[in-house]
Amino acid sequence: MGQYIFKRLLGLVPVLLGITLAVFLLLRFIPGDPAIVLAGERATPDQIAALREQLGLNKPLLFQYFAFLGNLLQLNFGNSLISGIPVIDEIRTRWTATFELAIAAMLIAITIGIPAGVMAAVRKNRWLDQVLMAGSLLGVSIPVYWLGLLLVYLFAVTLNWLPPSGRIGIESGLNFQPITGFYVLDSLLRLNLPVFSDVVSHLVLPALTLSTIPFAIVARITRSAMLDVLNQDYIRTAKAKGVPDRLVIFRHALKNALLPINTTIGLQFGTLLGGAILTETIFSWSGIGSWIYDGILARDYPVVQGGVVFIAVVFVVINLLVDLSYAWVDPRIQYR
Amino acid sequence: MKKFLKQVRYQFKPAWQPGFLAALLTIAFLISNCSNPSTSGGTAQSGILVYGSSGQPINLESGNVTDGNSLIVHNQIYNRLIEFKPGTTELQPGLATSWTASPDGKIWTFKLRQGVKFHDGTEFNANAVKFNVDRWWDKNSPNGYRNAGKTYEIWEQIFGGSKGEPNSLLQNVVVTDKSTIQFGLKQPFAAFPSTIASGYFGIASPTAIQKAGASYGTPAAGAVGTGAFVFKEWRSGDRIVLEKNPNYWNAGFPKSNQLVMRFITDPAARLAQLRAGQLDFTVDLAPDQKAEIDRDSNLTAVARPSFNVGYLALNPTYKPLADVRVRQAIAHALNRAAIVKAFWGDLAESTPHFVPSILAWAQSSDLKDYDYSPQKAKELLAQAGYPNGFEMDLWYMPVSRPYFPTPKPIAEAFAADLNAVGIRASLKTKDWTAYLADRIKPPGYQSFMMGWTGDYGDPDTFYYPHFGTGGTKDIGNWKNDRILQALDQARLTADQSARSQLYAEVDEILHREVVRLPIVHSKPLLVSRKSIDGWLPSPLGTEPFEAISKR
Repeated sequence: MGQYIFKRLLGLVPVLLGITLAVFLLLRFIPGDPAIVLAGERATPDQIAALREQLGLNKPLLFQYFAFLGNLLQLNFGNSLISGIPVIDEIRTRWTATFELAIAAMLIAITIGIPAGVMAAVRKNRWLDQVLMAGSLLGVSIPVYWLGLLLVYLFAVTLNWLPPSGRIGIESGLNFQPITGFYVLDSLLRLNLPVFSDVVSHLVLPALTLSTIPFAIVARITRSAMLDVLNQDYIRTAKAKGVPDRLVIFRHALKNALLPINTTIGLQFGTLLGGAILTETIFSWSGIGSWIYDGILARDYPVVQGGVVFIAVVFVVINLLVDLSYAWVDPRIQYR
Repeated sequence: MKKFLKQVRYQFKPAWQPGFLAALLTIAFLISNCSNPSTSGGTAQSGILVYGSSGQPINLESGNVTDGNSLIVHNQIYNRLIEFKPGTTELQPGLATSWTASPDGKIWTFKLRQGVKFHDGTEFNANAVKFNVDRWWDKNSPNGYRNAGKTYEIWEQIFGGSKGEPNSLLQNVVVTDKSTIQFGLKQPFAAFPSTIASGYFGIASPTAIQKAGASYGTPAAGAVGTGAFVFKEWRSGDRIVLEKNPNYWNAGFPKSNQLVMRFITDPAARLAQLRAGQLDFTVDLAPDQKAEIDRDSNLTAVARPSFNVGYLALNPTYKPLADVRVRQAIAHALNRAAIVKAFWGDLAESTPHFVPSILAWAQSSDLKDYDYSPQKAKELLAQAGYPNGFEMDLWYMPVSRPYFPTPKPIAEAFAADLNAVGIRASLKTKDWTAYLADRIKPPGYQSFMMGWTGDYGDPDTFYYPHFGTGGTKDIGNWKNDRILQALDQARLTADQSARSQLYAEVDEILHREVVRLPIVHSKPLLVSRKSIDGWLPSPLGTEPFEAISKR
């Protein structure tokens, strides 16, 4: 097992190298550069040239790339070219917001997606199946941007049930000092129920918006995995032996269908971190996503590079954890 | 087998479906009831003023940034030597109580307010002013932290250059005594008080800057000024919290105990927040959002006085546009009044002048606009040798600006009008930063949409950067000797009526030459809840919120 993990971690090196190279080159291929953004709309070519020199943007690309890699090895992500704030500081203050949102979205996707998939499989080709699968198709194809605004107008502006954006209300925010940066957890740790209900209410709409795609995918994968299992002989045997339906579905069928579902959830969680960019922007969620978005607009190379590398590392680590979890789900699997 | 499975399915039904549905309903109930914003402390409370900013500030360090989101925060934390009277471009005392020019107009003496303290308790005096100015204009200032990426571009853009550079307008800065400071200029510059009053040049605490070093102005270090509000906290990506300055020199202000500035990039999301009562006031909305604001009885739409110009630049480097008759034909061909009405409603005006109406003293009152007349346009084109028109590139910006909130449809409207007189415009755009950069690479674009918001309350801020020395790179270094002469002269003289005449002459020549055809002077759309009093938006784009109170 230990050897397997080591091998996998070693395998990360080329993956991460590829990611750094890709993000580095992609950013340089976008027209425009940070010097222009920094100097403003009214800058002269001389001022822009002077700024490029000051920022080191006039050096050869290869030199810039290796400088970036060299710093990365020492865990130095550099400073934002626009604000001067160290990238690592921003990641430190913002990652919890993105994770909290992604976890909440995943919980919603799992709680609704798995039962929906099971139900659709059991009712295959009946109206419930068709409604659920149409719903999941809608979930995959609905534009997040549109859905987010729609939810805001319905639940925040018209019904006034939930706050339209942000992570915490004005009053709550003034008197609340976070501990871990996960506001839901922090409000519980501080035993502050008003703040807890405030931060949960802020979490609902963005998490619902972000959960649509993973919900749809989890539901579809669950349905097809369940259908495979339900056709197996041992299910028939179990039924024939008079095992109650609940046990047949949840202990025998669902547990055996979990392997592909498990993989999907892991992969989807990684995708959620990237997908948070749009959701965070709509809901003014102060996470990594909205930060990278602003970074792209401003051509803030260190910000985008640091943010993408961070998400990539998390993605790869989650993949590894998913692979390791197979052994728990299916004891027949062994790692060598 | 089929029959068997059917039986199996049938048997599943009663066992678990009701439980699942019940669970779903419970979750839905919990979600909808777990918190009502009005009971959970989520709404904006009285005494706390909540402002919706269109984004996070870049930095809170004065002199180092030019974006509106930063400047609006600067305006709350810092004072400038001279301030603008609320809602106007007229000057009023700030940290300086009076300012006078020497007879030759080259030395400006500022008498400073006494007894003022920075938020950190240190004293404001002439040395503090010099410390700030040295950081901005002296590249060798040890406190400039340029080696850590600090820039101060705006100083060079307004004053021609940094210390020791040939184009620098400023010659020296001298502290005469504790409460007097003198700025020595190389040549007279009538608009100097107005430039030094612009929002970029807030006076920061030298002690705080030296203490924080290069990190001054970031979320970790904050900012220290003498203004109405004291920096308390900056949660990156979320909000800035400011508190009332109990020792503010301007007695009776600010009217609110706390000011929370939330960062909400999306205009639709900002308006939604405002309608839900989570914000008290916000800025930078699109003209088409006005109908939604008008429908909500809790909101008041506010138009910021126009201090910008959106124009269509016609680059004479390119063949057909080199002929002034062709450029005039374009002015006749475009139905500017109708386009402005269609895209801005009553939130803008179309005038023949390059400067907005608030600077009417710098316009020519005799000017008659080119009327909309495709017929006249065709005649002029025929006279210029283009009876069948010609093909022309028309570049439109890819982003929304206050002067062109929806550039593409506006460009399409231009193209339709031009097409009607035979000018076949091909619409082009590219990424914004590239758009800006490539327009000044010779020969530049053939015709393009661009605009400008003034930095300081003087016509110089519009005329000089566009038509003065070095200002016409994007239109093939187009040059008119009389304009250059008049603009330089208007900088040198302090006599208002003489300046007025000079600028009127410039206005007339520009109108005849049509190298930058003024399309619009827009009034940016702002909105507040009705519970807000005392907000007088400045034409200059940002203003202090010290007079705003909440019922």
